[in-house]
Parts: sequence; structure tokens; C-alpha cells
Amino acid sequence: MKCVILAAGEGKRMHPLTFTRPKVMLPIAGKPLLEWNLLNARDAGLKKFIFVIGYKSEMVRNYFGDGKKWNVCIEYVNQGKALGTAHAIGMVENFVDDFIVLCGDTIFGKNDIKNILKKGTKIGLVEVENAGEYGIVELAGKKVVKIHEKMEEPFSNVINAGIYHFNKKIFYYIRITEKSPRGEFEITDSINMLVKKEKMEGVFLKEWRDVVYPWHLLDANEELLKKIDEKIEESVEKNVTIIGNVTVGKNSRILSGSYIEGPVIIGDDCKIGPNCYIRPYTSIGSGCHIGNACEVKNSIIMDNSNIPHQNYVGDSVIGQNCNLGAGSKVANLRLDKKNIKVVLNGKKLDTKRRKLGIIMGDNVQTGINSMMNVGTMIGNTVFIGPGTVLAGEIKPNTKMM
Amino acid sequence: MCGIIGYIGFRDAKGVLIESLKKLDYRGYDSAGVGIVDKKLKVFKEVGEIANVEKQIPQIKGTLGVGHTRWATHGAVTKENAHPHLSCDKKIAVVHNGIIENFQKLRDELKKKGHKFISQTDTEVIAHLIDDVYKKGNLEDAVVSALKKIEGSYAIAVVCEDEPGKLVGARKESPLLIGVGDNENFLASDIPAFLKYTNRVIYLDEGEICVLTKNSIKVFDKKKKEIKKKEEMITWDVKDAEKSGFDHFMLKEIYDQPDTVHQALRGRISEIENSIEFPDRVEKLLNSNLSSIQIVACGTSFYAGLVGKYLIENLTNIPVFVELASEYRYFGTRNESSLVIVITQSGETADTLAALREAKNSGCRTLVVTNVIGSTATRIADGYLLQQSGPEIGVAATKTFTSQIITLCLIALKISLLKNKLGSDELYNYIFHLKDLPRKIQQVLDRSDEIEKIAKYLKDAQSVFFIGRGINYPLSLEGALKLKEISYVHAEGFAAGELKHGPFALLTKHTPVVAIVTKDSTYYKMLANIGEVKARGPKVIAIAEDKDTEIESHADFVLRFPSDSPVLPCLSITVILQLLAYHVAKERGCPIDKPRNLAKSVTVE
Repeated sequence: MKCVILAAGEGKRMHPLTFTRPKVMLPIAGKPLLEWNLLNARDAGLKKFIFVIGYKSEMVRNYFGDGKKWNVCIEYVNQGKALGTAHAIGMVENFVDDFIVLCGDTIFGKNDIKNILKKGTKIGLVEVENAGEYGIVELAGKKVVKIHEKMEEPFSNVINAGIYHFNKKIFYYIRITEKSPRGEFEITDSINMLVKKEKMEGVFLKEWRDVVYPWHLLDANEELLKKIDEKIEESVEKNVTIIGNVTVGKNSRILSGSYIEGPVIIGDDCKIGPNCYIRPYTSIGSGCHIGNACEVKNSIIMDNSNIPHQNYVGDSVIGQNCNLGAGSKVANLRLDKKNIKVVLNGKKLDTKRRKLGIIMGDNVQTGINSMMNVGTMIGNTVFIGPGTVLAGEIKPNTKMM
Repeated sequence: MCGIIGYIGFRDAKGVLIESLKKLDYRGYDSAGVGIVDKKLKVFKEVGEIANVEKQIPQIKGTLGVGHTRWATHGAVTKENAHPHLSCDKKIAVVHNGIIENFQKLRDELKKKGHKFISQTDTEVIAHLIDDVYKKGNLEDAVVSALKKIEGSYAIAVVCEDEPGKLVGARKESPLLIGVGDNENFLASDIPAFLKYTNRVIYLDEGEICVLTKNSIKVFDKKKKEIKKKEEMITWDVKDAEKSGFDHFMLKEIYDQPDTVHQALRGRISEIENSIEFPDRVEKLLNSNLSSIQIVACGTSFYAGLVGKYLIENLTNIPVFVELASEYRYFGTRNESSLVIVITQSGETADTLAALREAKNSGCRTLVVTNVIGSTATRIADGYLLQQSGPEIGVAATKTFTSQIITLCLIALKISLLKNKLGSDELYNYIFHLKDLPRKIQQVLDRSDEIEKIAKYLKDAQSVFFIGRGINYPLSLEGALKLKEISYVHAEGFAAGELKHGPFALLTKHTPVVAIVTKDSTYYKMLANIGEVKARGPKVIAIAEDKDTEIESHADFVLRFPSDSPVLPCLSITVILQLLAYHVAKERGCPIDKPRNLAKSVTVE
């Protein structure tokens, strides 16, 4: 049985982080989203994978190669044009018989994948609070009757989780699927035709984490970090305090005066300290530096970024190759303690989070004492002048003075 | 220029081929066709846009095919002449970009052997040649042996109904590259064709042959020895790709010029026979008794005409008069013993067409220099010569101007030959230097950073003067036209000796002057003119040859073109002027490919 993972999407709602990488390559707890799915699917017993790639496909291919590193076999199919999920799945028609499909931007658990693998056409289901934003699945017993897309007043909180077990018959329905009102070929439309003729069983999942907006990365990160063990391979100087589960990668040095409260993941070749405070649910990539008098909390710091002198970063995502100037700080809580709203792609959104710092794209440099207000969305390759106060959405490739 | 594409993989070939051809339509768009192997080989072709072919193709399942978008050079624009071309048994399909020089001979030989030809194209010969030696299961060997017999340039993609898992390609002097996909592979003239599906590319080198299957790529040299090729990653996206990574079409087209100059000479000069070869109709026109020549054109083509005047008069002693088309059609003399040469890139310029009709009606012999075969001008005139520069997208004419000059130079040489004014040694010398022009132009392009520096200085000028003498005078006019049309800086070109008769009144120290100075009989006059200009305060930017050391003490800045260009140094100078205008416009943030109020082809009077 082959496992098809849909990994072609750009993830516009993940801007500014996806200006420079496909959504599935966003790192969570030290690994790209797609790798978590690959590992879980492998542990569920799958060995043969097809990744349907598209947007910035070379990044996926360069990272995963033929899959030997994970003891699996990976093939790639380029979707070409992003025409929707049915179109993406239609790509693999010539390569599969009985197969399962996972949406690469949602994390599925090992045991749930095992259940989906069992004989017969299946679809994964979960119960959520905000069901109106998803496809609501109408059931008759275990049998799927219909999937209703994005209802204003949902009659149920059971939704389509984005994991399927199909056989060849699905391709017939994909071919006759018409464009949806939003202009895409959607697999849910194909399924709605399929279930009129064939039986499709709904399977409730125990673990499920989807990430839609950048701040969801922090939730997923927290969830995954809860499961890590302590593992410190490299040198730790005197007077370093480490509490709870902390993983530190190869060649990373923890210098005197550092105070690390797990769960925390630190990648390879990092320099941590001296005299810094790293708080729970922080993932630091490889080649990073967290310097003197810096505090980092509940954040994702991607590879080769520096938080070097007198910085505070909380509840934030910092892209690759960023450098914060001395004294650059991030606000993560409104004084009136209300929910934090952000502007993303020009639209105002309620993040439903009381605490949120900033989302910073790749290659950003900030000047000394620049201050970033709650919910600031900073594009990639932005220069921020000394003393600048930032808020709202900042376009890529700009200079803020 | 034509565009070709080949696909082998898992997608429906129909969709891939049509979409890819649309990405290549800048290479030509007068007719198009595809051949798809769906158990049987099925071919669909049509005159006009690619969409016309698309409409014809039914739901078809094949995942192997070839496609072509045509810009006619041999044979009229007809459905029969559209590619792909087939073997007699209709099992082998070939698409081709390039020119087979010995096709007539090959065609005659094949006909004797019983092969039946349907089209007038050179390409059809390839299909029959392959067919002639084809043994089932070994398409690539048949291609190798067919190509051995061919003289000329080609990029081809070949499929055969009996080998549905194989796509064969080859190239010589025409572009062809492999797009490396997953479970699929592509062949194309240019990257945009497949960039949507893959950004991994293998560039084929001269004379190489490749065999693609769904999941393998093999490349061979002429002797069928396998070659290891390196995959390269394309980092630009689809939108940039149509400009091949350049910021603007205009810049791409400026950089195309080494190639388009080569194209303009193709098939026209023969080093072996030491001759200039034109179609019979054109030779007949030029071989008649010519009392004078009138060149009629508009805009940049008019300036090309002025350059042509110097070239033709110099080589033939026949008086040449250059007229603006919009004036000529109402005024001036008509003389039946004169030849009217009409220059129009598009072949559709309304003013020029009206002048052409006027000339014909008054009994003059007419010859058109144009870039578009089948255009109205080619149908009206008694004869036509193609510039062969491929479609130009930037509104400001660049590569088509230099191609027009080359074509006019060839006309001058031909008339001179016909009148026995040119010795064979001299002609040999000309041909030798003409062939070297692409390299000279490349040298200028390689030094563009000096031009960028000057552009930074010129960007704030209110007004810029361009001066030159002789053949450099029309270049001054063209330099000024380029600058004003794309950068919106006011610019005027003058014959250097004319400044003192009026324009001096406009000179202030804020009016930079670009002076074109070549080492000819007016060299010292030009230095004197530069002195006069400098006395009034402006800064002078001289365009001079590499070996000219004297100029530095006269001008404030010097832009250089290669010495040792006895033939048409004006092309190198033109490229400098184009780059200068481009970089000024870029510095000023102007919409370079679409200047305000201007259109590419002016079809109104």
C-alpha cells in the first residue's frame, strides 16, 4: 500500500513564513511538518510514499531525497498547477491501487493512520468546536452520507480530518468532478459522488492537529514538545541550569549562566548563552545564537537566526537567517488583556490568542532598540531601522525606518 | 524562430503540450500543431493561434507527444506546412526549429526512393530520412543516421507510434533543453515551456542527442557515446522565465542581438562560395537598371533606412533618398526607374503600407524588409527580405533595428556585386567581418556596467543631445529616440556640424552631450565639435573605439566599443545607445516594456 502525502500547497494563510518555503516545510519542534507525518506514517507500517509537490518543490525534494534516511521509499509527482485537492490526488492515478492520502499540512497520529490503513474505503473524522470552518461530515452510523463545505450553522461538530483510504474507483469520480465555486477541484466533491454508489466508512481520530495560520504553529509546537525526552549530547559549561526535558543537538554549546526550562529543543551548532533565559515550549533551529540577557519563551526560532543581545522574544515565530539588533524586543500581551488581532494579507483577523508576539519571515534584520508590537507580521528580507516601533503587517523586501 | 516541445510522462499530453506551447508563443505564432501517441499517432495542426489547434483536439488519453509553434521561414503559413511533419506511414512525427540548408537535395533523393512529401518545409525531410533507415525498436539510431545527412541548424523532437515509451531529441545551433521531472520528462526550446512542472534542467550541447523515457534520460554525442550531463536548478519563477531571467523584455532583446545578428546573416552569406544569396525575385529586383533608390519607413525603421543610405551609396554609388512614409505617400517624386525599399518590422505599419501601395501604383519596383512573413507588406511588394529576428515584445525596437541594418548592408553588397563594383577579395573580407559581428556585440554587452554608471549620471538631465557625423548621424537620431521613448528624458540627435547653426542656443551646462566618434575622415572634425560643446559648459560622453586614446583628453566620460570592426561598427555603437537608454529609464523607474502613449505596431495612419 502506498501513502500519498499532499505537499504542493503554498499556504497563503501562512504568509509571511511561506513566502520562502512551502507550507509543509514549516518547522515544528525541530522538524518540518511533513517529516512528522512521514515518521508517523512509517511507524504505522507504511514504506512507500508519493509526495505530491508543487510550490517550491525543490525544498521538499532536497530535504527528503529518496527517503533512505528514514528507511522508506519516496517518489515525487509535481502537481504543476495548484488546481485543488482532487486535481492533486488525480496526479497519482498511474502509480497506485489501494492507497491512503494525508494532507501534508495536518499532523496525524500513528495509531490513527493504522486504523485508516485497515481494509475498505475510509475517511478520518474529528470533532472540533469551530466546525463551520471545515467540511462537516454527515453520517448514517459509520457510513458517510455527505460532506458539507463550510456551513454557517453547522448541524454537527464532526469534520473531515484530511486523511483518506481510497482505491482506484476514486479516480473515476475525480475525473467527473467539476470546479467548486472557489474555482478548485475539491476531493470532497469527488467523495460526495463516490458515497452515493460506494460505502465509505468514517473513522474517528484520537490525535489531530491542523495548522492554518502562523500562530497555530505555536500550538502544534507545544503539543509535540510535551512528548520529548531529555537528550543533551554536547558541552554544557558550569553554572548552567536545565530543568525538565531539553534536547540539544550536535556541536551546540550551552554557556555559563544559561537557565533553560523544558520542554525545549535546541538544534545543532548553536551557541546558547552566556546568561540567557529560555522558557518552556521553545524550539530553536540549527546554527542559532541566543546571547547575553536574552529571554525567549514559547517560540519557534528557525535555522541560523540570532537573538544575541538584550532581547525579549515571546510567543513568536522567527524565520531563518534573522538577526535582532541589541535591545530589539517583542510585545506579546495587550495591556487590556484582550485577544490579539493581526493583519494578514491585508485582512484583519482575530487570533483568539491572548498572548502572541510577532511572526517574522526569513532574512529580517532589526536595528537596535526596535520594538515590535503584539501581532506584528513581518515579511521576509525586511530591514528595520534603529528605534523603530512596528505594528500591523509589513510587506516583504521593505525598509522600515 | 520557432518553439518546440516534447513530453513523456503520466499526464495527458494534450494539456501539457498546449499549455507549454502557449508559453513559447513569443518564439512565433503563425501556426501550431501537436502530435500525440495514443496507441496510434494522432496529429492536429492549424494556422493561427495555438487556441485554434486546441479546439480541434478531442478528449485523448496519450501521455507522449510533441508540439510546435511556428514562425515561418521556409514555406508559407499553411496548415500543411505547420509541424509536426510525418513519415510516409504516418508513424513517426517530427517537430523542428532551425533551417536545413541542403533540404532540396535530400528531398529530391528521397522522392526518387518513393517518399511522398506533403508540405514545402525543410522539416519534412527529417521525418522521411528517419523513416528511411528506421528499424523497429531503435528510433534513436534512425535519428542519429538521419542527422548525419543534414546540413544546417536544428532542434528536433521525435516520437514514433511503435515506440510509445520513448521521446528522442537532438540539437545543433538551435536551442533545446531537457526538463527533468518525476515520472515524466520534457524537451523544449526554452525553460518557460515546462517550468510549471519542474525547475530541473539539462542543457544539451551542440550535436547531442537525447533519449527520454518516463523515468530515464540518456544523452549521447554524435557517435552515440553516452555522455554524463549535469542537472541544473532554475531559480526564477514562471513570470520571469519568459524574459529568461532579465528584468524586461527590452533588455532580453538587447542581449538577444548576438544571436539575431547571426540569424539575419543565416542563409544569406556563403563563405565557401564567397557570395551573397537572396531569393530569386529579390535578386531580379536588385539586378535591374537602378537610377536611384528610395527608402521609405517610419520611426526606428526610418533611422535604419538612413544608415542604409550611407551603406548603399558607399558601396554602389547609386543615389539613395530616405523618406518618411507618412510624407512620401503625399509628396515627392516618383520615378519608375528607381527601386523603393520599404522597411517595416511588423509588415503592418499603416503609414508604410500606404506609401508602399502608392509606390506600386506609380509603377515603381518595390522591395520590403520586414520581420513577419505573410504580413500585408510581403503580399503587396514585388519582393521581400526577412530580418529573421524573431518576435520583438518590448515596444522600443532594439534587435529588429540591428537586423534591419544587417539586411540593408547585405542589399548594398549584393547590388555592388551585381554591378561588378566589389572584388571577390573585398567581399571575402566583408563576409569574414560580418560573421564576426555577433562576437563584437557580445563584447559590448559584457561591459554594460560602465554604461550603467553613465546612466546614473544622465538620469537627472532635463535634456540630452546626441551628435555624430556620417553614418553616426542616424545613430545619434536613433540614440535620442530610444532615450526619449522609454525614459521620457527629452533628447535630440544632430549632425555634429549642425550644432552651430542653431541648437547651440539650447546648450547649457545641464545638457549632457553624447558624441559618437569613430576613427574615420571626420575624426578631427568631431574632436573640434566636442571642443565647441565643452566651451559652453555641458559634460560630454564620447562613444569611441578601444584603441582611441586621444579622446580621453577631450571628453568627460568615454564608452568603448571594440576596435578592429571595419564592417558595421555602427551595430556595436547601437547596442551601447540601447543599453544607455535602457539603464536611464530603469534608474528613473519608467515602465520600459510599455512606454506611455506608444504601441508596438502602429496600424493607424
